[in-house]
Amino acid sequence: MAAIVVVESLTKRFGRVVAVDDLSFSLEAGTITGFLGPNGAGKTTTLRMLLGLARPTHGRALVFGKPYARLRRPPLLVGAVLEATGFHPGRSGRDHLRMLGRSIGIPDARADEVLRLVELDGAAKRLVKGYSLGMRQRLGLASALLGDPELLVLDEPTNGLDPEGVRWLRDFLRATAQGGKTVLISSHGLAEVAQTVNRVLIINHGRLVVESTLEELTSSPDGSVCTRSTQPQRLLHALRAERLEVTEASDGALAVQGATPERIGAIACAAGIPLSELVGQASSLEGAFLRLTSEVAS
Amino acid sequence: MIGLMRAESLKIRSTRTTLGLLAGMTALVVLVVVLTGVFAKSSDLIGTSNQLSLLSYGSFAIVFAGLAGVLLVTSEYRYGTIRPTLLFNPSRARVLIAKLVASFLAGIIFSVVAEGAGLIAGLLILTARGLPLTLSGGDIGLLIGGTIAGTALWAALGVGLGSLIRNQVGALIVLLSWIFVVEPLVFAFVPSVGRWFPGQAVNALTGLASAHLLAPAAAAAVLVLWASSLAVAGNALMARTDVS
Repeated sequence: MAAIVVVESLTKRFGRVVAVDDLSFSLEAGTITGFLGPNGAGKTTTLRMLLGLARPTHGRALVFGKPYARLRRPPLLVGAVLEATGFHPGRSGRDHLRMLGRSIGIPDARADEVLRLVELDGAAKRLVKGYSLGMRQRLGLASALLGDPELLVLDEPTNGLDPEGVRWLRDFLRATAQGGKTVLISSHGLAEVAQTVNRVLIINHGRLVVESTLEELTSSPDGSVCTRSTQPQRLLHALRAERLEVTEASDGALAVQGATPERIGAIACAAGIPLSELVGQASSLEGAFLRLTSEVAS
Repeated sequence: MIGLMRAESLKIRSTRTTLGLLAGMTALVVLVVVLTGVFAKSSDLIGTSNQLSLLSYGSFAIVFAGLAGVLLVTSEYRYGTIRPTLLFNPSRARVLIAKLVASFLAGIIFSVVAEGAGLIAGLLILTARGLPLTLSGGDIGLLIGGTIAGTALWAALGVGLGSLIRNQVGALIVLLSWIFVVEPLVFAFVPSVGRWFPGQAVNALTGLASAHLLAPAAAAAVLVLWASSLAVAGNALMARTDVS
């Protein structure tokens, strides 16, 4: 299959900070790819370079074989939502879409069409400042759909959505992919997108950590157990004392290898440490994600 | 390119800010003309020079059109609409050109509204006080034409300034302090320098009589040079700046 997105040795430095470090990957037509990593991993910077908003320090990113800025009328090929903040509060949702559409010759009627598609037609003439975060996400999605593109790029689209909104987005993206379109969704958590994507790219500190299908990731004999405690440091020491390999995520969760949940529970109990979460191999997806994206605690 | 200009024009029209600027400008022009026209002594309202300054308050439009131009760029950065704008039109130079043109055209509307209001109010007051109009048709023609050209160029100049200083508050402060502090001070104390400034160029364009001002044609050229220099510098800056 043809690669729709090709990223080669993409690098971005901000002064001495390397935000994206020699990143290479490609996306094939018809896939839904989760672009995952903790906050600050370089996801948004990568997407900005992919979409021509930022210049790479090294390397290149091609969409449909060209740098984004060289595409003719790019919204007809690529639809992107970067943040739910790109709206003037004093402009109506409909005018926002009409103004974008007019700039590349998309008729106003298409704006009304995509508003119906994202179920925002009832609020079309209201000013954006009266929109909820979820409605803004949908308006962003509507702008990405204006040109009926082949590729959708969404940066943290579930941020600010309520559970119903998340479900709506998931169904929408599935239907989109069934229509043969390609989707790239970034997220700081695997759980948000696990039910939507079929491939994952995991990056951390600007580098690619894992590129695989979702099946490979979940079936890997990882066997890690994810646990949380109100006293994470004590728990970390107690588990290390038992010679277990433990990695620590920035949010305090611990991924433990080589032990069953029962044993971890027993260790914590013996040390008198309260556990707030203990998830075994059935959900090892989260454990794998934690292990791959967190610092190896030394 | 036509589509991009239509989009920029819709951007100007689709928020209430522009309407607010137009309303504020018209109110200010009418207020100043009425106050001057009502309280001035009859002897101060007779003669070409006096009548010209009574009828030229419409050139306040340069402030408001300049503000609208600054906002057309800085609002995009303030609210992040620059991201969808550039996603739809990745060429920043083309976006800037479309903004310059759309703002120039909006500037024409600003000046027609302001000068129209000022002229009507001023002529009504002169008639009401029974003072004869001593301005020639040529004087009034130059006044109207100069205000329109000057305001349209100031609207474009605002776009250039906004693309150089994308912080909205910063750009507005620079614009207003330039018009109300820097230019008047420099022109008052060093007119040989001040007359080359864009605000004084508008005064020259409208035919205001002053020994220190440039000739109207030279003033027009100077104003074009100011607007295009700012735009070229802003374009260079935008081309090499990442959008976050």
